[in-house]
Amino acid sequence: MTNRIFIERCVLLAFAAFLLSVPWLVPALVNNFWVSVIAEILIWSLFAASVNLLFGYVGLLSFGQALYFGFGMYGVGIGIDQLHLSFWPAFGLGISAAMAMALVSGIFAVRLTWHYFAIITVVFSLIFYFIAVTMKPLTGGDDGINFTLPPTFSFGGKQWSFTDATFQYFFILATVTVCFYLMHLVIRSPLGKAFLAIRDNDVRASLIGLNVYLLRLMAFVMAGFLAGVAGALFAFFGRYASASYMFYHVSGEAVVWAIVGGAGTLFGPIIGTSLFIIIRELVSTHWEHHSLIVGMMAILVVILAPKGLVGLWRDGLDGLDRFTARDKSTGVKLRTHL
Amino acid sequence: MMDTLLLLALNGLIWGLIIALIALGLSVIFGLLDVINIAHGDFFMVGTVLAWAALEVTGNFWIGFIVVPLICLALGALIQVVVIQPIRGVAALSIVATFGLSLILQEVVRMTFGATPRRMLPPISGTVPLFGIEYEIYRMFAAVLSLAALGAFFWFLQHTKIGTWMRAVRHDRDTATAMGIPAQRVYIFTFAIGFALAGFGGVVAAPITTVDFRGGVDLLPVCFIAVIIGGLGNLPGTAAAAILLSLLEGIIQSAANPTVARISSLVLMSAVLLLRPQGLFKGHVR
Repeated sequence: MTNRIFIERCVLLAFAAFLLSVPWLVPALVNNFWVSVIAEILIWSLFAASVNLLFGYVGLLSFGQALYFGFGMYGVGIGIDQLHLSFWPAFGLGISAAMAMALVSGIFAVRLTWHYFAIITVVFSLIFYFIAVTMKPLTGGDDGINFTLPPTFSFGGKQWSFTDATFQYFFILATVTVCFYLMHLVIRSPLGKAFLAIRDNDVRASLIGLNVYLLRLMAFVMAGFLAGVAGALFAFFGRYASASYMFYHVSGEAVVWAIVGGAGTLFGPIIGTSLFIIIRELVSTHWEHHSLIVGMMAILVVILAPKGLVGLWRDGLDGLDRFTARDKSTGVKLRTHL
Repeated sequence: MMDTLLLLALNGLIWGLIIALIALGLSVIFGLLDVINIAHGDFFMVGTVLAWAALEVTGNFWIGFIVVPLICLALGALIQVVVIQPIRGVAALSIVATFGLSLILQEVVRMTFGATPRRMLPPISGTVPLFGIEYEIYRMFAAVLSLAALGAFFWFLQHTKIGTWMRAVRHDRDTATAMGIPAQRVYIFTFAIGFALAGFGGVVAAPITTVDFRGGVDLLPVCFIAVIIGGLGNLPGTAAAAILLSLLEGIIQSAANPTVARISSLVLMSAVLLLRPQGLFKGHVR
């Protein structure tokens, strides 16, 4: 086992332990507010992961993931507010609405690649953003719709619902973890290898018999699923759905988070999202112009760590591995040098 | 009805000319530096704000037409050296860097200019009769000015040394460098001129639109769409696409509300992208 793998496992374990202890540890160390910030980070990480799945693993840069986030959000919002659904059917409606939308737009979008793909995805998301803004009675437009959440589970007289902050946190944590685990499984599977083959060279991939169009479409729908789950969770979390979350700026933020964290790595989006949201929360309470710092951070990271923060970390650890490996072989090296 | 149609079509056409200027800036930056410039809408916004500031400071609107593009040129050169140079060549990183730039520009404007949108009075007021309607003189003037700037830019590309260098570097970076063209300086200049074009568009548009720190946000997708529909690397195509799109939106606006007009033009664009991803004009213009 190399140092890198050992160290990364330790970090992962510590991270998992931290996430599990958040509802007790964080209020003791800071305050309750940060528990909800961490919940929000988890949700947005999932959204950034949907950008990462497409860009980091299939090589398609989508600038319109907010569309599927928005559909997940409105599936929940409209499901509860207008259709009076209970928790789980509304959750299902949000996710299936996002996936259906991803399938329909993907059928067209994945015919194109690179710049054209980026533009067509942003155009699709703009179309539905403007539609959502016009359909005010249904969507509330930019102001959005507020709703009260039905309980998540109820057995007899006992109920679990998002009004309990600890339950809310663990529900979000569990859902996000399941999604990341699913993504991990897909990436490790032959399907994931096929994605990577397409990312690295789509012509070669098609020559070894991969159906590039179909695989891209699958990835697109999967990314729609991730974004849809994130949107649905965010609707539960905020008891709120709004067209403003479908604007291209939201998609752009996810692209930035994913690339700054490290595109093509499972945990990159979490790191990138955490960095930006933590800075925003830390600075915005003291200084109204916190965007200035966020902007500078984005620029500094891409200049100093072009492979993203995870890439920087891995390069560092690989350097450590090389260093220890060199120690062991010093004798041989010396002789060849002499 | 006819009058509204004509008025909105004319407004669309003139707005299209301004967008053409901005989109050309985006296209040269994209074509030469492989930079997907998310901050380009904000370059336009900076132009409108500087026009407002020039009027506040000097009391004379006309000075803005000269001073603002020059300031933008200098700002563009500075930004290229500080932000774009270190990440040159990696399009994905350019998105993040220019996104950061966009945040910085918007925030600096919000800090200095303020968050409230303002309106500027056009330096020439009054209307002229035109095809049976009364039309604002300033908008006519804006059209002439944009056309002149478009013409000057194309003349510059074709007939000056730096313009030739820009075309050469865009065509084949390595050969151009081997021929002794200072590619590095061409990059700086290209980015600067891209900013200046957007800034000039901002000055021209300032009295027509509102001056607001978020003024570039809506504009950005429109410019990108013009660049793609016009055909990547096809500058006249980009200009034509910008004008057509805006004209079309103006015409649809006479029958429906602006949002519906925006939706229809976006749907049309998706169709163009899917049916002719090489751009509308490939094979017609150069």
